[in-house]
Amino acid sequence: MNKHNHASNLITSQITDPKFLEEIKKIPGGDKLLDCIQCGICAGSCHARFAMDYSPMQIIKMAHLGLKQDVLSSSTIWICASCYTCASRCPRGLNIPAIMSGFKNMAMKNNVPAPIALKPKFHKTFTEIVGKYGRMHESELKMKLTNKTSPRELLRNASLGLRMLRKGKLKLQPSRLDSSTHFSEIVKKALEEETQK
Amino acid sequence: MKYAYFPGCSIHASAKEYAMAANAINKFLDVEFVEIPDWNCCGAIDAVYAYNPLMSISLSTRNLALAESMKMDIVTLCSACFFTLSRANSVLRENVDMKEKVGKVLNDAGLKYAGGVKVRHYMDVLVNDVGADKIRQQVRTPLKGLKIAPYYGCLIVRPMEIQKFDDPEHPTSMDKVIEAIGAEVVQYPDKTRCCGASLAITDEEVMMEMTKGPLLTAKNAQADCIVTPCPMCHFNLDAKQKDIESHFDINIGLPVLYVTQIIGLAFGIPPKELGLHRNIVDPSRILEKLKATSYAAPKT
Repeated sequence: MNKHNHASNLITSQITDPKFLEEIKKIPGGDKLLDCIQCGICAGSCHARFAMDYSPMQIIKMAHLGLKQDVLSSSTIWICASCYTCASRCPRGLNIPAIMSGFKNMAMKNNVPAPIALKPKFHKTFTEIVGKYGRMHESELKMKLTNKTSPRELLRNASLGLRMLRKGKLKLQPSRLDSSTHFSEIVKKALEEETQK
Repeated sequence: MKYAYFPGCSIHASAKEYAMAANAINKFLDVEFVEIPDWNCCGAIDAVYAYNPLMSISLSTRNLALAESMKMDIVTLCSACFFTLSRANSVLRENVDMKEKVGKVLNDAGLKYAGGVKVRHYMDVLVNDVGADKIRQQVRTPLKGLKIAPYYGCLIVRPMEIQKFDDPEHPTSMDKVIEAIGAEVVQYPDKTRCCGASLAITDEEVMMEMTKGPLLTAKNAQADCIVTPCPMCHFNLDAKQKDIESHFDINIGLPVLYVTQIIGLAFGIPPKELGLHRNIVDPSRILEKLKATSYAAPKT
C-alpha cells in the first residue's frame, strides 16, 4: 500500500497514543500544534519534500491523531533542514522546524530506528565533539561519520578532503577554549538535567 | 561602530576567508569587531538542539552572557550562528521551563544572563549601520559589467526567532551592496532556496539535489559568480560543486564568493588579503573578466 495513505486508512486505538499531544506541548513551539488549519502551505513550500515520506502538513495531522510511532519513524522529521520556509509562510505561526527537532529528540530518546541511519549518530557525535572541545571540529566529525566500508563514499570523501586540504580549509587540530572550567560545568550540568527527565 | 564579535566554528576553519575579507573591509567602513573572549559553539541549528535542547540553549546562552558583560550588540558573519544565538533569546523569553533550567546550568558555572543582548548578522550591519552610500564612497574600482547572483539562503531572512532586517520572500540587502559596488544584480528564482545544510554529511544526495537548483538557475541567468553571506551555503555551493557536477553529469563551474570578498575587490584590496586563494571553484576568471573591462585589478 502507498505509505502516504497509511495515516488516513488505518487509524485504530492500537496505534494511537493519547499522551503524544501532551508530550509535544512541552517542546518549544509545540504548544501551537493544535492551531494548524491544514492549509498545506508548508507542504507546498518545503524545499526538501521530494525526499520525505510524509509532507510537514501530514506529519502535523498525524501528531493531532496521536500517531506517535508513525511520526517518529518517518523520514520527514530527519530530512527537515530547518530552512524555515514553512514557518515563515504559516498563516497560524507554527514553528514547524522547532517541532521537527522535538520529534527527532523523542525518536532518539525512544530509540526509534531512523530511516536515514546516519542521522542519530550525526546528532550524538556532533554533540560529543562540541562537549569535548567547546567548538566544532569539522574534520573529526566527518571522519567519525564516514562509512569506511563503502569504497564510493571513501573515494568521494578523499577527493573532497584533498580539495579542502589544498586550500587550507581542513583544520587538523581542534580549537579549544582558553578557560574550560565554566564550559565543562555547563556541559556536565546540561547532560545531567537532560537524562533526569 | 563597535560590536561584540562572535566568529563561530566554521569561521575558524573552512570559512576563514570570509572573516579575512570582513576584517579587511571593516577598516574602510569604521566597523570594529571585538571578539567575545573564550566563546564556544553557538549551540548549532539542529545538531545539538535535537539531541539535547537544554545543552544547545545553554551553549548559546553562555555566549550571550559573555557578550552581555561587554555591553555591545553581538555581530556574527555566520547565518547559522545568527539564528542559533537569536533562538536562545527567543526560547528564554517564551519558555519558562527552559529559562529556569538554563538559569540553573549557567549559575553553576558562575554565569548570569539578564537577557538584553541583541544578536545581529553582519549583512544587517552593512546595510543598516554602515549603509550602501558609505560602501559606494569607498569603492576604488567599480565592478562594472560583473553579473552577480546573490544567494541569501535561509537563516538570515526567515526564522521567527531572528530580528528581521530584510524581506523573507524577496530579500534585497545583498542586492543593495552589489549595486553599491558597481556590479549588476542577477535576478534568478532560487536566491532563498535551501542548500540542504548539514544533509551534506548525513544524506549527501538529497543535499546535492537541493544545492543543484540555485547553482543551475544562477548559471542559466548568466551569472559570473554567486555571492553568499553564509559559511554553510558556501561549503555546499563551492566545496561540493565538483561532486554535484559529477553526480548529475552537468557542467557548472560557477565561482562562489563571500559577500565580504566581493566588496573587498571593489575596495581595491589585494585578492590574497581577501583569501580568494582559498575558494575552491577558481575565482580568477572573475578577475580576468574585470581586467577585460575597465577594472584596474589590484596587485596580488
